[in-house]
Amino acid sequence: MEFLFLLTLLIYLAASILHALFLTTGISRISEGAFWATTMGFALHTILIALRWIGQGRFPMAHWLDSISFLAWAIILIYLGIAYMTRMRALGVFVVPAAFAAILIAYALPQDAPGLPANLQNYWLLSHTTLIFLSYAAFIAAFGFGVMYLIEEKKIRRKAQTLIHDHFPSLGSSDEIGHRCMVVGVILLTLGIIIGAVWTKYARELEWRWLDSKIIFTLATWLIYVIQIGIRQALGWRGRKAAYSAIIGFAAILCTYAGVNLFLPSIHAF
Amino acid sequence: MNQIHSVGTSHHTAPLDFREKLAFSQTQILQAFPLLREQYHFQEAVILSTCNRVEVYAASEVAGGGAPLLDFLSAYHHIDSQTLKKFTYAHQDEDAVRHLFDVSASLDSMVVGEPQILGQVKDAYDTALAAGASGQTLNRLFSKAISVGKRVRTETNIASGAVSIGFAAVELAKKIFQSLKNKTVAIVGAGEMSELTAQHLVENGASKVIVANRTFERAVEIAEKFDGIPLPYDESLSFLVDADIVISSTDAPHYLIQRKPLAEVMRKRKNRHMFLIDIAVPRDIDPEVGKIENAFLYNIDDLDAVVASNIKDRQREAEIAGRIVEEEAIGFYSQLQLLKVTPTIKALNRQFQGVVERELQACIKKAELSPEQRAHVQSMTQAIVKKLLHQPVKNLRQKTNDIDGGRVRYIQALQELFALKDVENRTETED
Repeated sequence: MEFLFLLTLLIYLAASILHALFLTTGISRISEGAFWATTMGFALHTILIALRWIGQGRFPMAHWLDSISFLAWAIILIYLGIAYMTRMRALGVFVVPAAFAAILIAYALPQDAPGLPANLQNYWLLSHTTLIFLSYAAFIAAFGFGVMYLIEEKKIRRKAQTLIHDHFPSLGSSDEIGHRCMVVGVILLTLGIIIGAVWTKYARELEWRWLDSKIIFTLATWLIYVIQIGIRQALGWRGRKAAYSAIIGFAAILCTYAGVNLFLPSIHAF
Repeated sequence: MNQIHSVGTSHHTAPLDFREKLAFSQTQILQAFPLLREQYHFQEAVILSTCNRVEVYAASEVAGGGAPLLDFLSAYHHIDSQTLKKFTYAHQDEDAVRHLFDVSASLDSMVVGEPQILGQVKDAYDTALAAGASGQTLNRLFSKAISVGKRVRTETNIASGAVSIGFAAVELAKKIFQSLKNKTVAIVGAGEMSELTAQHLVENGASKVIVANRTFERAVEIAEKFDGIPLPYDESLSFLVDADIVISSTDAPHYLIQRKPLAEVMRKRKNRHMFLIDIAVPRDIDPEVGKIENAFLYNIDDLDAVVASNIKDRQREAEIAGRIVEEEAIGFYSQLQLLKVTPTIKALNRQFQGVVERELQACIKKAELSPEQRAHVQSMTQAIVKKLLHQPVKNLRQKTNDIDGGRVRYIQALQELFALKDVENRTETED
């Protein structure tokens, strides 16, 4: 387990470096290397989660450290999917180092704080949390595309000399793929919220509280994305406005995920 | 050993109307080969004739300048030799090798790094090969030149980056749009440059062309070339609603496309990205348009800057490529020279032995030596030849490691001093 963890970390680190190298040199062999290193890291990461699953006898999703590891896993999954379909590697420069940091935190810190009470650990919880964390991963990808869009747009407007040689996706690609990530994210988040609500209503292990800080923040996040998608269809809020929405949405997720966990009381452990 | 000569003219040394006069058609090339061989005594020849250059490469056993090549060109194309000399360059041996490598590496091209020249060199060589005009020396030279061209292409970025306005527009469009497929190009006004730019965009996937012109007939005319749709020009710019890429080049003295109407157009097209290219001077598009969200405006200077920066990049790469060419040319030429050493030594030996043999026969006749004495004298003379030649031969062999050309001078000096005429060109046995 120790060894596997270190190996995974090392491979993610190598993949991060390869991605950065590709972005600066543009050599396609490096891009292939970056993709395969990430794929290998992802496979090991999957084994790591599976081992913890077997070790604990249940899906490791009861502690916030587990949720970070799962989030990193989901981001890489989405990235690999996009990279495989579009041959685009630039997003990896953002998400692979993030995944590296995430699993470093998830597996190096001791799980001292208590996880969720055992009576809550069931399939409801499993689907509620995994869906929501998958949606977070999709929103983070959308955030990455938003940032890349803004960088590239600035270069085009400034007529930067480095423009032609960079390896960022085109504005159209960032905008379109970012938008799709957002749509997928909203669908997953909606399902996650519904399952959470139905669970509290029918499972009766918990009382449904509208005023729970996590719920309020999550609904606010949901609203940001839904409004952006809606206005995009109706009035053509694409391009820079969509990129800003992705960034604001990401900030909202940070508040929902980390802010509430650290500073506000909630029935949600994470 | 064959000497390599080349005579040529290119965009560097001659204007187009002169290059035209010197150009060879495919049929003319095939006519020229027997002429060069029979009348001008060049055993081998390759003729490279493109729109930017005409070059004749030839190899001859006879030592001497490339003057016969100039005579040939002058006679063949009926150009007086004075004019010919003014617009042409002539290279010999190592310089000819280096020049051909420069050409095949696209370092001598008008647009450095342009990809066609390598294929043209290959075609010229294939033609000569098929006609039996190219032999051992030029076969080696041209196979090497083609491989040098390929090496430069793979090891440097000399061929990357757009170096024309049309290509720059395509590269920029690819930075803005996910793909050029299903994109609509609008040509506003008319002009060679705008049509050329549109052509590049269409070749790279843009599927629809619309043409707007104040004179509708003119719009129809241009639209026909692209299988496009002519539209009447109107002040509200409504014809631009479906346009993703706008190329404007009218001779209007004021801004035709202004911020307000275009912002309205953008709203109508739901803010889908629009790339506007203003190649008119004076400008057609108000610079303020470039501030509209999702509209990106490049004028002729901006495109020129892209091209200039790419050319600068290519020049940097050309320096690296130049070093590769230099290294290959020296390597190739010294390899070629290496082949000359052994035949020279053999010829030298033969000549000495010949002299000794003749003198020995004369001596034997006069002195009436006994067979035993004769054998003694014979072996003594053999030893003298061997010892006399030992040091120079040893030095000559050692000079073969010398790549600064010194070896070449020694060999030439030896051949001239001793009038070595029957130096064989036995390249195949010493490879």
